[in-house]
Amino acid sequence: MASFEREIVELLPRLRRLGRVLARAPSDADDLVQLTVERALARRAQWHRGTRLDSWMFRIMKNAWIDETRARARRGGLFAPEEAGEGVGADGAAAMEARLSAGEVERAMARLPRDQRLAVALVLVEGLSYQEAAEVLEIPAGTLTSRLVRGRTALMAELGEAAP
Amino acid sequence: MTLDERLIAYLDGELGAQDRAGFEAEMAADPALAAKVAQHRRLGARIAEAYAPVLDEPVPERLLALASAANQAGRRRVGLPQWAAMAACLALGVVAGRELWPERGPLAAHDGALVARGGLDKTLTTQLAADGGAIRVGLSFKAGDGRYCRTFQSAPDRLAGLACRRDGRWVAQTVTAWAPQSTPDYRTAASDFPAAVLTAVEAMRAGETLDAPAERAARDRGWKP
Repeated sequence: MASFEREIVELLPRLRRLGRVLARAPSDADDLVQLTVERALARRAQWHRGTRLDSWMFRIMKNAWIDETRARARRGGLFAPEEAGEGVGADGAAAMEARLSAGEVERAMARLPRDQRLAVALVLVEGLSYQEAAEVLEIPAGTLTSRLVRGRTALMAELGEAAP
Repeated sequence: MTLDERLIAYLDGELGAQDRAGFEAEMAADPALAAKVAQHRRLGARIAEAYAPVLDEPVPERLLALASAANQAGRRRVGLPQWAAMAACLALGVVAGRELWPERGPLAAHDGALVARGGLDKTLTTQLAADGGAIRVGLSFKAGDGRYCRTFQSAPDRLAGLACRRDGRWVAQTVTAWAPQSTPDYRTAASDFPAAVLTAVEAMRAGETLDAPAERAARDRGWKP
């Protein structure tokens, strides 16, 4: 396997995680990853070796997701219904609690406007720096910061940690 | 920067040494601010934790297979050079245009190119993505040379493709067979669009696809670059 493909394979877990933040339902998230990988392979000549492959693929995923949400909005209904993202299974109480908490986070994230969700996903979940995230989203750093503030404020209101 | 912007920049490690020290001094003097910082720190950790388990899940076989070149031959076109896929699609269009619709098909040969005509031409010129109909327009975007391009799907003609505006005509860039219902054994990701069309879009577009207001504005300007 050529190194480009190998690096993509190594990125798949992170692409799936970002996909889950954006599309929520696991099957939709993996469809988004598939679309992203297809597009990356089709335009591999545009990737410059020595630059970050993860940022480049995140940008492709961002564009793919925006395209998909626009195409699907037209057909009515964005991705699967909310319930489709819920985890199932029954094991220990700790695991169940973690899953319930994760479910709340996912629901709150799904209610964020698209731009804020992207900003929060790249910085809080993927751990990108502001500069890297702004480059992925193709926006100025100031715009990224204000989206992060609005996104986090909404999540705080939604997930409502009681004031100490 | 507003206080909230400084707060999150502090949490994300984006403040310089001097600003960080200044913010820490403010927190020391303001318990309410310190409490808010702690709340946001816990929120950030909770969000990261919620998605962390995805990294440990097994990656679906279809994604692994897609990304490994060895498994691509015979399964899909993405590994082929761009021109090969596009040439194959255009050849199909030329053949289809000549043999299936000799007089009145959706595409006609003109100056060595395939151009849209009749209902397809009218749809591409006037219809927005939000409009329904037997022929639908999907994505619109600007190509690197400034021309507008649009994808289309025609149920009556059973084809999909990508056409770009040139000299007042819609010139087909790629055309491929398409049926309104996707086949169950070949899954083109989350998309209605055939892979060949999406690949052509990826190869040609400069920047994002147009959103609804930009699409309407471009149409109202007659798709002039």
